Amino acid sequence: MSPSATRERLSPPITATQVQLFIFTVACVAAFVWSWIFLGMSFSGITSSFGDVSRLVKRMVPPDFSNLSNIVDATIETVWMAVMGTAGAIVLSFPLALGAARNTSPHPTIRYICRTVISLTRAVPDLVLGAVFVSALSIGPLPGVLALAIHSIGMVGKLFADAIEQAAEAPREATISVGATRRQTTRASILPQAMPSMIATALFRLEINIRASTVLGLVGAGGIGVLIQTSLRSLDYESALGAVAVIFVVVTAVELLSVRIRSAILGDAAALAQSSRHGWFSQRIIARDTRVNRKSFETRALSPPWTWDRMFSTATISGFLLALAVAVLTIDIDWARTVPLMPQIITVFGDLFPPDFTTVRSEMVTGIVESVVIAVIATGLGLLIAVPLSLLAARNIMTKRILSTVTRLVMLAFRGIPELIIAVIFVSAMGLGPVPGTLALTVVTASFSAKLFAEALEEVDAAPREAVLAVGAGKIQEFFASVVPQFMPAFTGHFLYILDVNLRSSTVLGIVGGGGIGFLLLNSMRVLEFQTTGAIVMAIFGIVLAIELIGNWVRQLLR
Amino acid sequence: MQVINTVADSDVAVKVTSLSKRFPNGTLALDNVSLEVPRGQVLALIGLSGSGKSTLLRTLNGLHAPTGGKVVVQGTDVSTANGKSLRKLRHHIGFVFQQFGLVGRATCMENVLVGSLGSLRGPRLGVRSYPVALRRKALEQLERVGLSEQAFQRADTLSGGQMQRVAIARSLMQEPSVLLADEPVASLDPESANQVLDLILRIAREDGMTVICTLHQVELALGWSDRIVGLRAGQVVLDQMNAQLSQDQVMEVYRATGTPMQFETESALQSA
Repeated sequence: MSPSATRERLSPPITATQVQLFIFTVACVAAFVWSWIFLGMSFSGITSSFGDVSRLVKRMVPPDFSNLSNIVDATIETVWMAVMGTAGAIVLSFPLALGAARNTSPHPTIRYICRTVISLTRAVPDLVLGAVFVSALSIGPLPGVLALAIHSIGMVGKLFADAIEQAAEAPREATISVGATRRQTTRASILPQAMPSMIATALFRLEINIRASTVLGLVGAGGIGVLIQTSLRSLDYESALGAVAVIFVVVTAVELLSVRIRSAILGDAAALAQSSRHGWFSQRIIARDTRVNRKSFETRALSPPWTWDRMFSTATISGFLLALAVAVLTIDIDWARTVPLMPQIITVFGDLFPPDFTTVRSEMVTGIVESVVIAVIATGLGLLIAVPLSLLAARNIMTKRILSTVTRLVMLAFRGIPELIIAVIFVSAMGLGPVPGTLALTVVTASFSAKLFAEALEEVDAAPREAVLAVGAGKIQEFFASVVPQFMPAFTGHFLYILDVNLRSSTVLGIVGGGGIGFLLLNSMRVLEFQTTGAIVMAIFGIVLAIELIGNWVRQLLR
Repeated sequence: MQVINTVADSDVAVKVTSLSKRFPNGTLALDNVSLEVPRGQVLALIGLSGSGKSTLLRTLNGLHAPTGGKVVVQGTDVSTANGKSLRKLRHHIGFVFQQFGLVGRATCMENVLVGSLGSLRGPRLGVRSYPVALRRKALEQLERVGLSEQAFQRADTLSGGQMQRVAIARSLMQEPSVLLADEPVASLDPESANQVLDLILRIAREDGMTVICTLHQVELALGWSDRIVGLRAGQVVLDQMNAQLSQDQVMEVYRATGTPMQFETESALQSA
């Protein structure tokens, strides 16, 4: 055997996938460096910017709660908007998901149409939708609710369809074989399987929509957002912090609650019983379930017993319906006046066409480039911060429990303030421009992706880790040999997702003066140049579609 | 019951004295276990799930720290070893897991190379980060287990039996004097199980390795080992050279003990 042949066998063959991944990595680094230079970023600049921000934050303390009743009213409106928007999204998504899922769709053409509608709604940011609806229906919470409902279809519809497609095939066949109709089959075999996941999705979306609705006020679509901006503009910093504090409390509480409810709905009782952390509580639940099951058997009951799962799901659903009823009855929407205005939405959407790319072409190009650059830097910098944070937060990596808990709390604190609110604060501290927008997005990216990464790290299979330790490897060797290879696919997947999210966010940062195409977008609407608006929406749509295509390409490489 | 207690210390590969292990949740997994394994012996450890077999193996290479007693492997006291000395000791003890412990996304070659980490300084990522001499050695080990053609295939593309053979090749990289195997064939079909056990036995004889292997299947244990040790509720209840044993004697180890509670839990889980 020739020496070269030996060497070849001792090194892994270079595959097309590796080459493509390498190109992708180099392109990402190049894009980051170019963006960094384009915006004239520097670390000393960043440090002094955070100095500006901390000075502003100091002037915000102590928070002023003197108009607390206003803040509370606005917060309640914000929450009701989110509830109604989510309810609307569920109602609209359900039939779309049934049409889009492989196993329930009546026809391939319908499936294709449903899928397209679902992805289209996701591509237009909710703030953009909100702005369009405001120009049709004038300011107030209703345009906000509609914007949330339409934009949420993208996620809710997709995850509903996924849940339906993941339902096991055998029960469906069994139901068909007893002579059930298509609708009976769906009802009897598919929905029961998909329901827990669908409830969890709806809750998760409600959580996202509460964040989103806090900033819809910035385009006049109702909620608390406008209160913060007004206070900052009138230099009433203490009141601004008062409103931010209330948002923080609501968002954080909703997140903590939603995570608990979702894991309770998704996790089955048997898995709960085995987890030592909830040992005592879950043992009690299982004991109770066993008891009620036995009782209904002994009494030959003809309706299902109230097991923990059943009580929990029922309570969640009725809680949501109750909130929805209160929202519809109490929210400040003049239905008699606005309902007749609904057709105007179609008129406004019609006004967007044909898109006019000519009027502000150079500004539009600059704006789009700026948006992309902001997203790229925020993603890159955010990840640089997020990776070490996630290592500290992951309980299977950082075995000192106190450190991981503290890290988690810090991350949670930063997630509690919606990114556009952070952007508003940064812009107030540093002035208009893309840099404050970038830094605001970086902070949010860091805390959000650190959470995703920590979760992915905790899902790493422990068996190879133990095996690597058993050969006598040190802790760092073990980390690189067993954790890193397992973590890489999740890392890349989350990276693409975060880049995607940041591109959408950076297109609306301009609304609060944080740079990018958003300013032009809002401005074109204010001066009623709807065809230019149409062109910008098309451009945003194009960027989002491009990143989705890149994402699909890389994900397929990683499979 | 102790059979082999008249061997010179230098010929003893593993010596366990009054070993106890109580887990933080209160379970007493090992209860005053004493055991001496001479060099080159192939020992099968049998017992019900939860009888302490895995815990015993894990205590032997320091994956679990004992709460009482003493463990000496190859003249090193495992119970007092820590950090560097523990890693050095582990480097000379091979460990084969029921679930293989392979990094599925990595190639077989990389998984085998992991076995040499104890002799290297600093972290490694990817086959190319290992010295060529070690790569050549890894390929030889893969050849020994009959998988050199799959060297650059991802580990998760292999069958269960093949994965376990890769895991054995990883242990061989350590040139171990003692090989611990924790249910190495429990996840395999009978055909692959035989292949894997034969492979372990062949290598043990060729290299003069001491093997301690937990097994569920009594027939396999009888046909394959030199000596059988049975555990029940953390205590040694059987310790005999293979030739003196009948299947019935061995089955006695599996005699049901205190099952009603277990039944209760299971029915509760099913109804939940």
